[in-house]
Amino acid sequence: MIQIISFGLIVGLLLGFVLQRGRFCVVGAYRDLLLARDGHMFLATMIVIAIQAVGVYALAASGVITIQADAFPWVGTIIGGFIFGIGMVLAGGCATGTWYRAGEGLIGSWIALFMYALSAAMTKFGILSTFGNDVLSYRTSDTYIHETFGLSPWVLVIAFGLLISALVIRSLRKPKLPTFSMKPKKTGLAHILFEKRWHPFVTALLVGLIAILAWPLSEATGRMAGLGITTPTAQLLTFFVNGDTSLLNWGVFLVLGIGIGSYIAARGSGEFKWRLPDKKTLGFNTSGGLLMGFGASLAGGCTIGNGLVNTALFTWQGWVAVIFFLLGTWTATYFTIIRKQKRQRAGSGATSAA
Amino acid sequence: MAKVLETNGMVCPFPLEEAKAAMTELTAGDELIINFDCTQATESIPRWAAKEGHTITNFEQTGSAEWQIVLKKGN
Repeated sequence: MIQIISFGLIVGLLLGFVLQRGRFCVVGAYRDLLLARDGHMFLATMIVIAIQAVGVYALAASGVITIQADAFPWVGTIIGGFIFGIGMVLAGGCATGTWYRAGEGLIGSWIALFMYALSAAMTKFGILSTFGNDVLSYRTSDTYIHETFGLSPWVLVIAFGLLISALVIRSLRKPKLPTFSMKPKKTGLAHILFEKRWHPFVTALLVGLIAILAWPLSEATGRMAGLGITTPTAQLLTFFVNGDTSLLNWGVFLVLGIGIGSYIAARGSGEFKWRLPDKKTLGFNTSGGLLMGFGASLAGGCTIGNGLVNTALFTWQGWVAVIFFLLGTWTATYFTIIRKQKRQRAGSGATSAA
Repeated sequence: MAKVLETNGMVCPFPLEEAKAAMTELTAGDELIINFDCTQATESIPRWAAKEGHTITNFEQTGSAEWQIVLKKGN
């Protein structure tokens, strides 16, 4: 038990800390492809995948870890991925984003987190589990993309790594945008850890390394997987209700660690504050959380489990989920932000003309 | 002319979206002072401003999880 607690907490604390300091936000990365026409943060998520792919397949080849993945539940991944994408825009953060923003003191994220845990537990273990299992019963025979094409995983790992390296080099070679550095108040390590702006690619590199570390530490406790958020969050809530200690696995301490790690990072850098949004936002956070838990349970994972981990394994589930996360994110962004702006612009144009 | 935009309490992407809307009402050389408390906006607002050609004349943390950025509208 001590191993489960400590190994889970170590990875969670590191991840929560890095996500908070690096302002690493998956929903922001997906949303800004459409809203800001900016692929900078999306490329950062691809860096995480590329690094993790090399690490995980190297660890598997040397026998340190075993890779396990289920056959592709295509109906669930498509429907659930789309629903999750909508949910994370409304919730103001993906599942992990919600965990770490709760650690920053955002009350809206606490509500989204509770709703996400509740609907994930309902879909995985509760009243919706029969429906969930029905949806998840539609599976293809193939799990991995390289399996379908009869390739070694290394072909995909190397090809993807080269593609992302080329995109990173191209991005770094672009003329630097003018920046404004705040006057430092801290020095040395405290400045780097609790004040300095982290380049998104550096943050991505660290998240990739933490994602690799997650594999051996999780498998040492008997949980044969990498980072995962939704099932542990549902298990944590279920444990609070029924007290069944068998639910407390590595992942439960991982997610707790994310919240605590983010709190430490935010406190240390003077960025913790209880923040209460308006009623409308709280309503969005509530419905967004419910959609995220339901969607992630059907999709077999969130933007971490599917979006960063299953993608690095090159499973069909991971990449199809990313496509539908994107479609869901863009649909919700269109209806909650873009359409409203268009109306406002049309409205102000009419008054100025008059 | 300087315009002050209060966005405390708003979560991303709304501080940035409000800033975009406010900026359209200003003319080149005007200043937009944005107060915000969404941590992730410390990354997204300066990046947007730089890409759009607005000059960041000041950027500081004014309190616990509170920031102020001053932008001068570009041409």
